[in-house]
Amino acid sequence: MADASKETPLKAVQIEALVVMKIIKHSSQSFPTTATGFLVGMEASGTLQVTNSFPFPTVDAPASDGHQDSSSNLAAAAPRAKSNVAYQNEMIKYLREVNVDANNVGWYTSTSMGNFVNVNTIENQFFYQKELNEKTVALVHDVSRSSQGSLSLRAYRLSPSFVAAYKEGKFTTDSLQKSGLRYQDILVELPLTIHNSHLLTSLLHQLPADAPKEELAFPPNLAALQQDPNTPNPPLYPNFDSLDLSIDPFLEKSCDLLLESIENHHTELNNHQYYQRSLAREQAKITAWQQKRKAENAARAASKQAALPEDEWQRLFKLPQEPSRLETLLNSRQVEQYARQVDGFAAGVSTKMFAVRSNLMPGE
Amino acid sequence: MADKDSFLHLARPLGPAPVGAQPSTAPLGVVIQPQAIFSILDHSLRRPADQERVIGTLLGTRSEDGTEIEIRNCYAVPHTETAEQVEVDMDYQKQMLALHLRANPREVLVGWYATSSDLNTFSALIQNFYAGGQQGDGTWPHPAVHLTVSTVPGQDIESRTYISAPIGVTAERAADSCLFIPVPHEIKYGEAEKSGLELISSAKDREDRSQPIITDLEALERSVQQVLDMLERVSNYVNNVLDEEAQPSSALGQFLMNALSLAPKVDPADIERDFNNHIQDVLLVSYLANTIRTQIDLSNRLATAALTLGTGDALTGEGGEKREGGDNNRQKGDRRGGKGRQQRAQEA
Repeated sequence: MADASKETPLKAVQIEALVVMKIIKHSSQSFPTTATGFLVGMEASGTLQVTNSFPFPTVDAPASDGHQDSSSNLAAAAPRAKSNVAYQNEMIKYLREVNVDANNVGWYTSTSMGNFVNVNTIENQFFYQKELNEKTVALVHDVSRSSQGSLSLRAYRLSPSFVAAYKEGKFTTDSLQKSGLRYQDILVELPLTIHNSHLLTSLLHQLPADAPKEELAFPPNLAALQQDPNTPNPPLYPNFDSLDLSIDPFLEKSCDLLLESIENHHTELNNHQYYQRSLAREQAKITAWQQKRKAENAARAASKQAALPEDEWQRLFKLPQEPSRLETLLNSRQVEQYARQVDGFAAGVSTKMFAVRSNLMPGE
Repeated sequence: MADKDSFLHLARPLGPAPVGAQPSTAPLGVVIQPQAIFSILDHSLRRPADQERVIGTLLGTRSEDGTEIEIRNCYAVPHTETAEQVEVDMDYQKQMLALHLRANPREVLVGWYATSSDLNTFSALIQNFYAGGQQGDGTWPHPAVHLTVSTVPGQDIESRTYISAPIGVTAERAADSCLFIPVPHEIKYGEAEKSGLELISSAKDREDRSQPIITDLEALERSVQQVLDMLERVSNYVNNVLDEEAQPSSALGQFLMNALSLAPKVDPADIERDFNNHIQDVLLVSYLANTIRTQIDLSNRLATAALTLGTGDALTGEGGEKREGGDNNRQKGDRRGGKGRQQRAQEA
């Protein structure tokens, strides 16, 4: 990452097991509403250590069903809401008293099916990366993908070039050409590792995770076997949920989301075309006006009168504003996200399907 | 922590109750969510060097009849303890409780924790504070739960849960005495937490105690490997029984028979058909997603590349035309996406 700051740029994110659990709990509790919260920790030689987190208060939106959209919007915008900044400062003040690393290192959000690349996320992260502390990350926890198997938790930052462009607030075709910003460059993903404390490691070793290795006495009958206290619970690791063979719900949802993105893209393109047309119309009008004025001036010059000014058109006509291309960029990034997700899914599920087939087919 | 003690539920003596409130003497069970324990351990690591134990408040939910308490969350409360006296920052506790309740309105105060297994006079004092009903900030009329988690390095982490009952002492000693009654507890995790715990516990055998996020495919590989190992173990045993080297067990045999009979009996043709249908679905959607991605990429490039071709009025016409081209591509993508959807709908 070409970070221009003098100190070492962030290279990796390391989060405590505690934070993982807190984020999972908060996200799954408030699912399907977006859950957001605050991360504290510290930064050491390029690695951002996230050591604690706390959730933001729920937004007191009117809980009527008709306003689902607005309330989920409010929830997604929570990290930069004014009341939450106060909440977060107060919380940090108290956490400092019990020796928690009280530095802001970012925020987290929950999502479903990777559907997180939108204006809200960008604005939140911009808010954090600019106003509070340059070295902040956004942790994105995908609730629905985590429930299908392995944990889906990612760390993202905005790229410096995007931040620069966003600061100017200009996403016109011209500015994009100049800066060479592409949708792939909006978010930078940082590698994420999970870290356990010594005490936690000790605790994990106490929890039974593996089948007993020593010889056990034989159960006298089937019922005794099933109630045997020595029968281990399914171990935490590896997680056999990832052997689950459900295909259709995921594909269906992915298709829906992709279609939605396409529609968004289409709307944006239509906006742009509308802009192009009106721009062309205005320009045609201006040219006509200029030619008329020129003819008029020629006539006046012939009759020895003073020429009329030729740049009055700037006052008379107004060129339309070019719509921002930000939405298109984000949408493209979102589609890329979906495509990657589907690829990953296809890889896993086709493996499982071949396994099942060869298992059930006789004579193979 | 894994050992299961047996428990005898005692009807505990009740304190003086004002009229109208009916404290219950029903047996009580405590369920602890792993994140609460994690949080306590973290707090223990961050304790001041001169302090033996640290305390904090437990938050959670109670079942309607009050017989099951689920500890979901907790936070640290600063306190100082010397041989003569204990000081708990009450103000801190109240402020923090208010902050936590704003974020989690459904959770209530259920008790407190300490990071040492000792129960002493100070424990009783704090317990009476958390259970007290007079100021309206305790758990009364429900019993307050006291959770102790021992954090002695090099030893197993032991956790115990207690509730308290008043004991008959003189009035001046009543504030710092109570009877701690052990209650059973267990650590439970939900479906949602499983994937997180999986990753956390996969780091337990590593020297650096850390674990990068694994991809779905890696997780799958590990699971398959584990299943293969287990199958190997079972088939080894069965072979040994057949060779009369291991002792047979009818119960195990029965269990294996039951498990094997779960294998579905399906026609090979059906399998072949279903397999082909599904694999085509998967590959089609994957193909479509990537096509859409390429189309959008192309459309973006065309939109920003068009203007480099010229200046002035020619620019607008050129740009418009190019964008039109981009749009055609989009239309195509859209139509393909639509087709994909129709196909999905037919199968559903």
